[in-house]
Amino acid sequence: MRRARRLLERLGFGFAVLVLVSPAVLVFLWMLSLSLKTELDNTAWPPVFVPAPPTLDNYREVFARNDFLLYAWNSVVVSVSATLLALAVGVPAGYGIAKMQAMRAAALILVARITPGLSYLIPLFLLFQWLELTGTLFPIVVTHLVITVPIVVWVMISFFEGLPGELEEAALVDGATIWQAFRHVALPLARPGITVATILAFIFSWNNFVFAMVLAGRETRTLPVAVNNMLTFEQISWGPLSAAALLVTLPVLLLTLLAQKQIVAGLTAGGVKGA
Amino acid sequence: MSGGAAALPVPATAAAARRRRNYARRYALFIVPAAAVVVAVILFPWAFTLYVSAFDWRLGGERRWVGLANYAALFSDARFGWAMLRTLLYTVLAVVFPLLFGLAAALAFHRRFPLRGLARAVFILPMMATPVAVALVWTMMFHPQLGVLNWLLTTAGLPPSMWVYSASTVIPTLVLVEVWHWTPLVMLLLLGGLAALPVDPYEAAKIDGATPWQAFRHVTLPLLMPFIVVALIIRTIDALKAFDTIYVITQGGPGSASETINIFLYLQAFAFYNMGYASAVVVVFFAIIMALAALLLWTRQRVRLT
Amino acid sequence: MRSTITRRTALRTGSALLAAPAIVERANAQSAFDWRRFRGERIEATVQLSPRGQLLQQSSKEFEDLTGIKLGLEVVPEQQHRQKTIVEFASGRPSFDVTEVSLHVNKRQVGKARWCADVKALIADPTLTAPDFDFADFGQGMVNYATQADGRMDTLPAFADYFILYYNKELLAARNIEVPKTWDEMFEAAQRLTDASKQVHGHVGRGLKNANVVLWSSYLLGTPQRDMIDANRQLITDTPDAVWAGETYRKFLRDASPPGSIGFNWNECQTTFMQGRAAMWLDGIGFAAPLEDRNRSRVAGKVGYAVVPRGPGPNHHCALFGAGYGIPEASRKKGPAWLFIQWALGKPMQLRMLAEGRGVPARASPFRNEEAIGRSTFPRDFFQSLEASSKIARAGLPEIVPVTQFRDVIGTALTNTISGADVAAELKRATSEFRPVLEQSERES
Repeated sequence: MRRARRLLERLGFGFAVLVLVSPAVLVFLWMLSLSLKTELDNTAWPPVFVPAPPTLDNYREVFARNDFLLYAWNSVVVSVSATLLALAVGVPAGYGIAKMQAMRAAALILVARITPGLSYLIPLFLLFQWLELTGTLFPIVVTHLVITVPIVVWVMISFFEGLPGELEEAALVDGATIWQAFRHVALPLARPGITVATILAFIFSWNNFVFAMVLAGRETRTLPVAVNNMLTFEQISWGPLSAAALLVTLPVLLLTLLAQKQIVAGLTAGGVKGA
Repeated sequence: MSGGAAALPVPATAAAARRRRNYARRYALFIVPAAAVVVAVILFPWAFTLYVSAFDWRLGGERRWVGLANYAALFSDARFGWAMLRTLLYTVLAVVFPLLFGLAAALAFHRRFPLRGLARAVFILPMMATPVAVALVWTMMFHPQLGVLNWLLTTAGLPPSMWVYSASTVIPTLVLVEVWHWTPLVMLLLLGGLAALPVDPYEAAKIDGATPWQAFRHVTLPLLMPFIVVALIIRTIDALKAFDTIYVITQGGPGSASETINIFLYLQAFAFYNMGYASAVVVVFFAIIMALAALLLWTRQRVRLT
Repeated sequence: MRSTITRRTALRTGSALLAAPAIVERANAQSAFDWRRFRGERIEATVQLSPRGQLLQQSSKEFEDLTGIKLGLEVVPEQQHRQKTIVEFASGRPSFDVTEVSLHVNKRQVGKARWCADVKALIADPTLTAPDFDFADFGQGMVNYATQADGRMDTLPAFADYFILYYNKELLAARNIEVPKTWDEMFEAAQRLTDASKQVHGHVGRGLKNANVVLWSSYLLGTPQRDMIDANRQLITDTPDAVWAGETYRKFLRDASPPGSIGFNWNECQTTFMQGRAAMWLDGIGFAAPLEDRNRSRVAGKVGYAVVPRGPGPNHHCALFGAGYGIPEASRKKGPAWLFIQWALGKPMQLRMLAEGRGVPARASPFRNEEAIGRSTFPRDFFQSLEASSKIARAGLPEIVPVTQFRDVIGTALTNTISGADVAAELKRATSEFRPVLEQSERES
């Protein structure tokens, strides 16, 4: 009797977990299905779920119609640079803010996150035009700092706050400078936090659409813009659109699947609330 | 705002506090580079926006000084008022539901079960997916005659929905997408909170013979409150600023049924080229977000103290 | 990749047939016009993503081979394209040397700001213009459309877009219904064709605000009033004729179209029509190509084409839209840019545009090329409707600066009527809302 009840409870719990993950699974599976079917099957009613036979034509069309590899490269350059720069300035800042309890500095960095992204576009476009920097990836990297720096700083603040201060204090007593204490004591301890900050900053920069929409030109487009550009006037193409959408999302999805332990562990350990 | 679950050490005396501040000041250099970067990127746009908001200026037309007239016009603009109400409605829905589902998911993922890692990874995928790409796929799923969602509904014996193709269902539908996207973030934040909870109160509750619901209601929930408030703040800011999904799926339509402040701003700036007016919208919009964020922060401080 | 292969095959046959490069080469030999005088230079051009833009994209190599100029061609979706070009123009330093300008949206804005150079001067310069350019070949209507009020022609007309009536021949034949000649006949036919149990509707059309204004203006063009502003440039969008057009719009969208039409733009309409779920659809000519594409359309080969029906008035017009290619005044490479425009809008490319069903060329000569038309995969009635439409075309949107805002305000009113709002009241409200915007923009000029 008791065992039956426990079994029932387990089944119920298993079902609940299934319900929790199914929206994510179903949407991505449907994306995959759309990307592998012909256009006729994609608009068929009742819908065709399993491509029979699957076709890679949509993927071929994505690469034929766009300089997809160039855009992928642009996305990589932008996201990696914006993430590295953000780490370079953000990790020390997170440390400093945690040590100083400098809430005003924290708030200032938060302002960058709160300002609606659209409001940066025209002023920054004019500024970069004036500096003759449009047509390069530089403006896009700079605007992405608005996303990546706050993420890194906020993740790191919570992380450094969660670290015990004794070790650094011991180092300071031993005559280390505060920089050395940071560099050799706090930083190695904060590695899990840095991992999370890197992953989150990279992903949010990768996914950003608004900045590149206005600031990117023909040769500086990033992937999200390229996907939106698959929407041709006068022709709809669900298949290629889904294929492109999947190609853009795939790197971050894989990254998430591979690094989920670190993401969860990092966030859990630091009690992070800043992403 | 800084987040750690550990409360800040409270200085014993004023002198100790002063000493502590002097000591802490040495860390200012650590903050300077980040602050400089942020200021460098946002200063010019902010100055520009404030300046332009005092002009009547359409791209390609003349620029005319009008002082505060743009702000005055904004406050009597019924369309802006509606956009504001819609944004609030959208925000409330897009905060409450992710919080509820995120809490449920966090409680589930806090337990140990086989394949937990995989299930958790799959669950957080939506928040990592590129919003524009996913929004395009949602648009296809919402098609009232040919979309897969209506097929699922009718197959299940339910009446088909108009999804984003009707003024009455468009906001709930967009919220649905937002919930799908951002529940995982809430889950992660709360999962972190659950992991940080002390064990003792539970044992005490168990000894007192509390039911699981009572333990949740009287132990877990109060202890988790600081984390919930943080999730609330982040969600509120993000929901107020939501743009990508709405822009790709409805562009504010049908009619103006899903025109939030951000979409209104987009139209003024990039469709009507009404730069002065759009700048005033930015300033007011920013003030609204700041006010709400400050209110929530204040709530958080109170929660922390009690 | 069947669809691309067909397109590519069509392209290859097209170019073999027309022997485009050969014609140009011969012309060169005769005139000794130096197409290669700017070789080694580099220009940037930006056009909208459409079957026309893709034609340029696919053949841009031909231009580079012909002139030795390196071409950076940017193809962007229309909405982003408009934003980008306007913001760049306004910055004073546009990054492009040639741009497409949507005449129905940006003509007056671009003209008033004098952002583009007058191409007439370039046409008159024999050192810059090939002798076989033949400006007289451009239809007078399109030349007028591209000419500004002050007489400058700051873009060379590229193509026109007419609203035509697409109908599903099978569905009409099954009910023994003739192709409608008036809006009343069309509405009656649409109601008879609607079979809700099979999810087939008699009509499908744009309900989404902004996009829907052009459908309403198609009805309005059939009234005695025809236009949306009068000779004194005053708004006349709440007159009895405007209300009649609004009532017609509401009738079609509410009583004969699929549910959810309120949010339909061209793409939802196209999907519905392609699936054989709507019998009639009124929209731009450019949709013929996807509708006839067997790889994506279930109605390929079954689509009928007709001129838009008549209204109650003595006038019969179809809504006209179009685009021109212009060179920014700020460009330092006007010569090479002009060579690009001559190539992109030359006779061979314009013929290909027509024969491949990609759009309506601004030149007249392609229509007279019986041979190419005969070989086209597009049915006769398509070309006939085109020609008939070209004779009755009239601007489908008012020539004002704040066109987008106009479409937004009037479009919202129209969308509201589908959900049951009173047509006259909505148009009155929208008109009074937009009037000050128009007055201010007119004062500035």
